[in-house]
Amino acid sequence: MNRIITLTLPGELIFARFASETAAKAALLLINSCDGGADDWKFTHAFELAVSEAFTNTVSYAQKPASPQPVTIDFIFEKQCLTVTIRDTNPPFSIETPAPDIESYPERGYGLLLMRTVMDTVTCARENGTNIISMSKQLNP
Amino acid sequence: MNISETQAGSITIVAITGTLDASTTKELLKSPAISNPAQSVVMDLEHLDFLDSSGLGALIGTLRKKRERSAETLISCMNDRVRRVFEITNAHRIFHIFDDTAAAVDYATQLTARI
Repeated sequence: MNRIITLTLPGELIFARFASETAAKAALLLINSCDGGADDWKFTHAFELAVSEAFTNTVSYAQKPASPQPVTIDFIFEKQCLTVTIRDTNPPFSIETPAPDIESYPERGYGLLLMRTVMDTVTCARENGTNIISMSKQLNP
Repeated sequence: MNISETQAGSITIVAITGTLDASTTKELLKSPAISNPAQSVVMDLEHLDFLDSSGLGALIGTLRKKRERSAETLISCMNDRVRRVFEITNAHRIFHIFDDTAAAVDYATQLTARI
């Protein structure tokens, strides 16, 4: 049976760091339960970075509701895999953006590129009025 | 996040400590040397623990605005976690990056002297 940690945070930008630091700790928990590996820092950093990007996108780039809606983050622990789902009931949004051309110095649009590069899988869906971003990574693929 | 500015000749060294993400970029952009587009800076990232795309965007915006005014934004002392963000996004191709802040200051001084 999978173990799940659920975290619910106010949908405000000041909680992005709390979410990303918690993600790093969850990744470390999986590493410690599996005796780790040489590139442990890349695994913890992947979750720290991807959750920062996803949470920030959720609370700041979506269409704003009248008041910020809470964001629920599930950390799902499997044998050698950690999956994070981020759910909110804000209006629908898309994280799909073309990869920016660095030579034109764009200041935005790197989030999805970073998430997709550091994680094994990233999906974005809308189900029953809820936005769901799901990201997974194997510890030792 | 903590920001300190130190003058080294005509170059300002901007040392960032802590986290540079969506919740802290405004503070960086308000700092005197960053908000002055004509001031060349070396961004000392030795004690920057975490950078995400919002923080990177602030650094890229700073680079662009300063280059429009013939000033420079150089980077020094990135750790592996920050370097990973630069490399995934190819941002390392548009910045001058140094392992040593003094070397970055020397290079920035040469660059600005040519202008």
